[in-house]
Amino acid sequence: MRVVIGEDLFLLRDGLVRLLDAHGFEVVAAVGSAPELLRALTELKPDVGIVDVRLPPTFTDDGLRVAIEARRACPGLPLLVLSQYVEQLYARELLADQAGGVGYLLKDRVFSDAAFADAVRDVAAGSTVLDPEVVSRLMTKRARSGPLAALTPREREVLSLMAQGRSNAAIAAKLFITEKAVSKHAAGIFANLGLTPSDDDNRRVLAVLAYLNS
Amino acid sequence: MDRMTTSGSQTAERGRGFWMAFLLPLLAAQTLHPGGGLAPWVLVLFTAALALASPKVAAKLVPFACLACGGYGFYLAHYVQNWAMNPLIYGLVRVGTADNAGWLVPEALAFTAVGVWLLALTGAPGGRAVRRAFWQLRGSHDQPKTVPPLLLLAVIFLWEELFCSDLWFPLFSSSGQRTQVVALGILAIGVGMVVWRPQAAAVTAVAGTVLFGLVGVLWTLHWFTEANGPIGNGAIFYGAVPVHSFAPDTIAGLIPATQGSPALQVLAGAQGLALAAFGVMLVPRLVTWSGDLELANRARALTQRVTRLTETRSDATEVAVAELRRIERDLHDGAQARLVAVGMSLRAAEQLMRANPEAARVLVAEARETSSRALDDLRSLVRGIYPPVLADRGLGDAVRALALDAPLTVDTDITLDGKEPPMPVAAAVYFAIAEALTNAVRHSEADMVEIGIGYSDELLRATIADDGIGGADPSRGTGLLGVERRLATFDGIMAVTSPVGGPTIVVLEVPCALTHGTVWSGDHTWADVVRSSWQTRTLI
Repeated sequence: MRVVIGEDLFLLRDGLVRLLDAHGFEVVAAVGSAPELLRALTELKPDVGIVDVRLPPTFTDDGLRVAIEARRACPGLPLLVLSQYVEQLYARELLADQAGGVGYLLKDRVFSDAAFADAVRDVAAGSTVLDPEVVSRLMTKRARSGPLAALTPREREVLSLMAQGRSNAAIAAKLFITEKAVSKHAAGIFANLGLTPSDDDNRRVLAVLAYLNS
Repeated sequence: MDRMTTSGSQTAERGRGFWMAFLLPLLAAQTLHPGGGLAPWVLVLFTAALALASPKVAAKLVPFACLACGGYGFYLAHYVQNWAMNPLIYGLVRVGTADNAGWLVPEALAFTAVGVWLLALTGAPGGRAVRRAFWQLRGSHDQPKTVPPLLLLAVIFLWEELFCSDLWFPLFSSSGQRTQVVALGILAIGVGMVVWRPQAAAVTAVAGTVLFGLVGVLWTLHWFTEANGPIGNGAIFYGAVPVHSFAPDTIAGLIPATQGSPALQVLAGAQGLALAAFGVMLVPRLVTWSGDLELANRARALTQRVTRLTETRSDATEVAVAELRRIERDLHDGAQARLVAVGMSLRAAEQLMRANPEAARVLVAEARETSSRALDDLRSLVRGIYPPVLADRGLGDAVRALALDAPLTVDTDITLDGKEPPMPVAAAVYFAIAEALTNAVRHSEADMVEIGIGYSDELLRATIADDGIGGADPSRGTGLLGVERRLATFDGIMAVTSPVGGPTIVVLEVPCALTHGTVWSGDHTWADVVRSSWQTRTLI
């Protein structure tokens, strides 16, 4: 799987290259500024790109803008966006085109390299992966009133994991329950929230996120 | 407790007005004289009734009654020089003939002075002008010493007294009426000058005082050198000194002296000297004329501004120091502590690496976890100092991010047209909105909050309104107070309306100038900017 990395901190960039090499990815470009990154993404058309939000020249949100611009040029280009801090605002902007294949994670997540590699593969496959931080903030927003309050804690856990973009199997593994239990919970949740059930993970997470965001 | 103090002060006020009110019939009693008929008695009874019925109204009339009594005294002083009069009591003097008329003018002056003083003391019309004149003469911390234009009226009066003995008797002669018209005209011109040309009025007043004084001095010197006889006709009063009258044996004021006597002359000379000296003392003040009302107002405004700036500057430094202390404490207790723990775990792992690799692995995993927590701590600390989204995207998006993160529904209406306030102002406003939002979330039990930000007339305005239970008291919560102080550094203000049960609305206003925001505002996309600076390096 061909990967392009956009990260200006040398140590982290080097670390990412090494991590991805170790997990069987092929790093075709590792660049340290936003213009270089945009060019690399649009010209090399990798299977997935890993983008740091803060890049030169302005060191504000150049990486985020590159991500949005690259996906406008190549719709559906899978990109995993990393940041020192996550904002719901940025998550919304990334998910706005509803095309799937988007990830938004805290840089801290690279500490668990296997999970990180899984996230990269999921994004490359077209899933939507959101940092649990972002999702938990989304959930607290709706926790006060409405149907969310009516869910059981277990159902809320499942919902939160669905919003993070995990598949039924991943949720089952995380919660130590069977996949069948997960689908039952999911069905119940969708019924409670009035969402149309869907087997497509991507559509599902988008529906959940849309609900939480409304 | 409150009720008692209120009624107590009311009683005190009533008592004060009470005794003041009874001055009114006393002053009215000055008009009593044998042969006066019923009219003075009616006046006395009426004023007594008024004093009993409505002491406040009577007390308000006292300054004017005093001035009227003074005028009455001047009238008597001139009358008695020309015609016979039944003896009456004016003030403390019993007058009937020209012999004891010399007391009349000093007493009349006393009545006038008391009347003017009472005018200044109470809130009567004209009182403010008198007060201002007093402070202009005396000087205060925001009113430099100067010449009060109002002085001109006193000077005009003194000159008119000197020249127009018929001033007080317009009814008796047509020439008297002419004189009175002219005198009133000059007085009217004087009033006009005081109101519209205060500087000219002040100059004329000073010149008039000096000349008036010189007249007395020169005349005294002339009299002593030439030993002349009486001058002029009719009753002439030089200030408080009767220097001529029909009656040859006039007693003047404090010193028994007859007309033409050296004592009288000396008195007149002394008065002249005093007045001339007073006028000369005022002359330097004219050079640095600041009787101009506008200048005085400006000086006052500047003083107030300086006071305010001193306050807010000390506030700002206090706030800054408190912030730094908070950061130091958070770093010490949070990230620093965790990093120490990481170091210790790694050291222990280092030591156990060969002997017990499994234990070492556990320690290393622990260290990894702790460093994650340290990052969390640093993240929240940075958020409290200057949120990255505020630094990267500006006030509008930062507030939108706040709105998204809040646990209840927050609608935002932000119209800044891509422009940005200066960074310190943006930070102050951001934290103000954050504080208000936190209060709404924690205390108001609201379902919805509306945040609006707009800019007009060089004012940045932010409104945070929630539909909760209200009852917010800014004096109880230190958060809003701190916000108010921080905003005051930028001359910003905050207003909270929070009736119990009703909605709470917090409004902030900060004067500032907006500048163009990030490069991304406007029509061209950032990608265009990027493509124009083209460089790439790939790593294969």
